[in-house]
Amino acid sequence: MNFYCCARLSNKSLLGSLAKLRPALRTAQYAQSATVPKISFKPYEPPKDEHFDLKNERLNRPMSPHLTIYKPQLTSLLSVTHRAAGMILSGYITALGVGALVLPNDVAHYVTMIEGLNLSPATIFLAKACLAAPLGYHFANGIRHLYWDTAKGLTIKEVYSTGYAMLAGAVAISLFLAAL
Amino acid sequence: MPLLRLTSGTFGQLRTFATSSALGKRVKTFAVYRWNPDEPDKKPYTQNFEVDLDDCAPMVLDALLKIKNEMDPTLTFRRSCREGVCGSCAMNIDGVNTLACISHIDHNLSKPTKVYPLPHMYVVKDLVPDLTNFYRQYQSIEPWLQRDNEAVKGKETQLLQDVEDRAKLDGLYECVLCACCSTSCPSYWWNGDKYLGPAVLMQAYRWIIDSRDDATSKRLSNLKDTYSVYRCHTIMNCTRTCPKGLNPGRAIAQIKTLLSGMVKKQSPIMDPAGLQKQSASN
Repeated sequence: MNFYCCARLSNKSLLGSLAKLRPALRTAQYAQSATVPKISFKPYEPPKDEHFDLKNERLNRPMSPHLTIYKPQLTSLLSVTHRAAGMILSGYITALGVGALVLPNDVAHYVTMIEGLNLSPATIFLAKACLAAPLGYHFANGIRHLYWDTAKGLTIKEVYSTGYAMLAGAVAISLFLAAL
Repeated sequence: MPLLRLTSGTFGQLRTFATSSALGKRVKTFAVYRWNPDEPDKKPYTQNFEVDLDDCAPMVLDALLKIKNEMDPTLTFRRSCREGVCGSCAMNIDGVNTLACISHIDHNLSKPTKVYPLPHMYVVKDLVPDLTNFYRQYQSIEPWLQRDNEAVKGKETQLLQDVEDRAKLDGLYECVLCACCSTSCPSYWWNGDKYLGPAVLMQAYRWIIDSRDDATSKRLSNLKDTYSVYRCHTIMNCTRTCPKGLNPGRAIAQIKTLLSGMVKKQSPIMDPAGLQKQSASN
């Protein structure tokens, strides 16, 4: 075995071929190995510091599925809705601001225009409720988030109970605004 | 002796008879995510395995081991303790991150159980994700006790801690770093390079509030940037999914209260260096 190792360490083809005759040369192996002290050392090189993402991309590793396979839960659904509601609200502000700047008439003019369409009260109420829903939701959930920022109400049980309570509150606020 | 052999054989036969025909076969399908780095042309896919639940122990990990032992030895996943202590077998089972060893197999046979690796991670093979970034982030919070006056080697004394101060670490130190919570967090999915994620932040908090640790202000100032902590939007997927029942979401909120100065770290009830001073004065 020693002999075999030596053959592997040295690059001499002679030794390599001798290795094949190993059983026959068993007695000679110590003498042989003593004459072959050629062991080359390589100084230790720390592994190259490769960026995590670059390394994974080089290895062609896929990204495991995430959004598509993760179970929709109240926690994440309420959070993403909060963000969507916030975006819709900033859309309102932008639309009102740009509208005031660009449109030739003021808001009252367009309100009378909509009144002139003679829509049924139910349709008007529904449209108003839809317009008010993002505000109601963002307001109610915003209070929940402010409460959370004091590091309170963050057990899963409380998160769920305040979540359902907040949804009821958001509906109530939206309906109230629509009824105005 | 021959008689014994004969009877044991009979009992064995009786047993197999009982399980095979008296009980109906309850076959559960497992849809498992597969990807092999040695077949780079093949895209990741899910493979269905059918497991007889009457011949399988109750946990998802048992089913995976049965698949590996009896159907496909190439199926690759991490596992070690098989009792929820090591955190190796973290994976996404039926849409929720958990430890395969402590989640029961769903006995609803009409639906397959879907098994994926932890979400939004680079896949090394099948169910094995690359956790290098996660571990580096853990390293970055310096998860060890830091004292202003480190004890001289050979002359260390025990640091004192009041029972009440010790109780603050409960619910934090039990974390096994399985990465279930971090990989359930959408913020961590999108900003995993700069946002530390719930698991690491909970450990950061564990060292921040330790009454024996002197590096509190340094630890907090290291977290004071827009990404490390503040990519947390209190989605709470982390707490929802934690297989150990811990609350990383609350720990992050508590870090935020400390960062904003709403709350100050209380000074230790018992002087940690009490014994050191006592031995010095003697």
